[in-house]
Amino acid sequence: MSLFGASIRRKEDPRLLRGDGRYLSDIKLHGMVHAVFVRSPHAHAHVRGIDSSAAVADPRVVCVLTADDFPPGLPPLPCIDAEETTKPFNQPILASDKVRFVGEPVALVIVEGDRYIAEDIAGLVDVDYEPLPAVSTAEAALAPDAPLVHFESNVVDVLEYSVGDASSALAAAPHTLSERFITQRYAGTPLETRGVIVEWDEARHGITMWSSTQVPHSLKATLVGYLGLPENAVRVIAPDVGGAFGVKLQPYPEEVILGLAAERVGRPIKWVEDRYEHFLASTHGREQYHDVEVGYDDDGRILAIHDHAVTNTGAYLQRLTLVEPFIGVSMLSGPYVIEHQQLVSTVVMTNTTPLNPFRGVGHVQAAFTMERIIDLIAAAVGIDPGEVRKRNMFSADVFPLHRGIGNVLAGEIIYDSGDYQECLSRALATAEWDEFRREQESARADGRYLGIGIGFFVEETGLGPYESGRVRVEPSGQVIVFTGACSSGQGHDTVLAQITADELGVGFDDVVVVHGDTDLVASGVGTYASRSAPIGGTAVRNAAGSIKEQAIQIAAEMLEASPQDLELADGEVRVKGSPASSVSLAQVAGRVAPGQPLPLGVDSYTLDATDIYHPPTNTFSYGCHVATVEVDIDTGVVTLLRHVVVNDSGTLINPLLVDGQVQGGVALGIGGALLEEIAYGDDGQPLNANFMDYLVPAIGNMPEMVVEHMTVPTPLNADGMKGAGEGGAVGAPAAIANAVADAILPLGAKITETPLGPETVYRALQDAS
Amino acid sequence: MSDHAVTINVNGVERSNLVPARLTLADFLRERLDLTATHLACEHGVCGACTVLIDGETARACLLLTVQADGREVTTLEGLTEGDELGPIEQAFWAKHGMQCGFCTPGFVLTIAELLDDNPNPSREEIIEGLGGNLCRCTGYVKIVEAVEEAVTLRGGGA
Repeated sequence: MSLFGASIRRKEDPRLLRGDGRYLSDIKLHGMVHAVFVRSPHAHAHVRGIDSSAAVADPRVVCVLTADDFPPGLPPLPCIDAEETTKPFNQPILASDKVRFVGEPVALVIVEGDRYIAEDIAGLVDVDYEPLPAVSTAEAALAPDAPLVHFESNVVDVLEYSVGDASSALAAAPHTLSERFITQRYAGTPLETRGVIVEWDEARHGITMWSSTQVPHSLKATLVGYLGLPENAVRVIAPDVGGAFGVKLQPYPEEVILGLAAERVGRPIKWVEDRYEHFLASTHGREQYHDVEVGYDDDGRILAIHDHAVTNTGAYLQRLTLVEPFIGVSMLSGPYVIEHQQLVSTVVMTNTTPLNPFRGVGHVQAAFTMERIIDLIAAAVGIDPGEVRKRNMFSADVFPLHRGIGNVLAGEIIYDSGDYQECLSRALATAEWDEFRREQESARADGRYLGIGIGFFVEETGLGPYESGRVRVEPSGQVIVFTGACSSGQGHDTVLAQITADELGVGFDDVVVVHGDTDLVASGVGTYASRSAPIGGTAVRNAAGSIKEQAIQIAAEMLEASPQDLELADGEVRVKGSPASSVSLAQVAGRVAPGQPLPLGVDSYTLDATDIYHPPTNTFSYGCHVATVEVDIDTGVVTLLRHVVVNDSGTLINPLLVDGQVQGGVALGIGGALLEEIAYGDDGQPLNANFMDYLVPAIGNMPEMVVEHMTVPTPLNADGMKGAGEGGAVGAPAAIANAVADAILPLGAKITETPLGPETVYRALQDAS
Repeated sequence: MSDHAVTINVNGVERSNLVPARLTLADFLRERLDLTATHLACEHGVCGACTVLIDGETARACLLLTVQADGREVTTLEGLTEGDELGPIEQAFWAKHGMQCGFCTPGFVLTIAELLDDNPNPSREEIIEGLGGNLCRCTGYVKIVEAVEEAVTLRGGGA
């Protein structure tokens, strides 16, 4: 059986299961000192002065650094997706005159000893704040007399897109509905927080930085810029990363500050974020509401939509601030044919932790809004929700489908492949829609409120611009793979080894995969936007393909055979049809080992090839979730019963791992649907910055889950792979919200927001009665 | 701040140390003994990543002071493995893809060790009840439950 497509167990696991993982906080270096950041306790304040004399007087202090200790004119952190119209409200690496959210770093304290001592001494740094009025919600920030987070206005940008003529089509539509749909602020909250170790390396007159990051190469480029060092002076290593989900996809201020401090301190410095800090200082996501007006006809066909989305993006632009507001509207119509769309997305600043993309960015809000709209239309016209979806969906013969709308950093949206109607039909069949309707009816007769809901989504995956793959066959015949696509738990070592072993006809155990080290991997981008398999995997496939060609050319001389008669299998190059005539891959590699003349036509003393794969454009995964729930109308408590997913991520390298990605995504979506909300007071003070009050799903929150796959290959890469990491998180909130709404529909209650905690559901029931 | 003498049996080895009173057991294991499989994720007893066994019962190493473990037997993930051989629970996690990033895994494995010692053949409901205090952000728990069921079989506890 081919290794590609096989559900084999992971390379990574035995090491981790023995306790031999090497996460950031596990690393110790000789002479290491410990850092703690002093952070603003105010949501908005002038910084009138910082007195660190009491801290500095402690003999254990190595240094206390504030903005004044760094060269003036250091630029703020870049936002790489800013438009020309985007106001440049970027984050300084350390606050100087003003702080704009609780948790913003103000000073860095470095001590001998340990983290305990560092925290003791950080408490001695006296920052003189003059508190200012703060604003924590987008609505409040848009008010005419709102406190200004920066200057002039809290509106950072207004993005507008349209296809067709929505205003005229809405005016002519037989029916319209208007509604506000609200998605709350929540976050990826990986179990491992962020952390950094940096060491000044005099031999290269530069630094080595270990960081729990998804993007070591982007971090290296950022550090090279800030430190003014040549590229060969900066090495970044991402060790085992304990979850990331997008939260670790940008260079952060702490990384830059510690990089800048390294030479001055001259000893390795370690900083590990604690959970409270993580809630304050690591990026959040989602918070976005959509004011929509939709026109439709008696058959439930959507004729036009006008959507005005407003995103509370927090106190500063981050690396990819516009993705959330952009995708939230550009992917609104998902799988549906909507000829006339007017989309406006307003980006608003508040005195809260900044937003940056995390698992399912923008798509979650788009799917929640659109799928709720469809169910409201279905109820209004009295047609089954599945049928209304079918009537509005693109057919399978439209691909490639040019949507006529662009996406940030990604060019025009062109849906590449799939069969949405088939996906919907399969999901409804697996969920036993009709049977559930009967069960629902009899339950209602007993005073129990069951509901079923659909969440269909289309998701942009496999974002460019490129990823790297390098494959080398060692003289032993063993294979080593290098890639810029690095893991935060997805299983890169396993699936990239599967691709390599498949291409080269070697054993899975003969392949080692190396990632997350900028000295070992010359170029790379990193892991986000469900890109590692379609982009990184293709680069590795292509590099292995080059190796295969080289190996055949070398073996042709050794076997005195024609290259076209040779194949690679079982660790050998052999003549097709006569396997006895063969040389091992080790012999082939040995034939080009240095110290001897090369075979004719071969010009390299190594079996080593690199590919940098630039996808022509993105590939669009999709899926259909169907959730069933029971709502206790006395308490508003929602109990999840069953969750069905039919997902198309194209060709699967390892179905077992893709199941895991989808299931984990669904869990995150369940958190967003029912439990998770980062709450702020009106004064910008965080209200639940810990795992006791911020509820991530536990095992008891999980329903029975069924995951099935469609595998319509994308034409955009040779293996037909589409992204698989995020869809679970995208479809689940929409499906669950629709199921809750369906359960209480007979009571006239309306569901327009998440999370659907007991209070929200109870309030909806009260409002209806 | 005065130090306190403690002697703790960790994974079968007596460890005598002078520790400050405020040093948590988790930091003692990680920083003094380099037993880094005990992970810190929330540091306030909610997530279970730092779960260890104390005299055979699960405890949260982030909520215990080292001095509280004086004279006790502590088992960490490292103590479940002899050489390169994985135990049945770890084998089951590997076989069923019960882990992704692996950060929560040690806490789950130790919690399951206690669960199966108390109840070698738990029902699915008992598994869910038993793992209710451990958070995983990657897997959605589906394959963790499957791993426990596999571990039951590997331990010979299945029906």
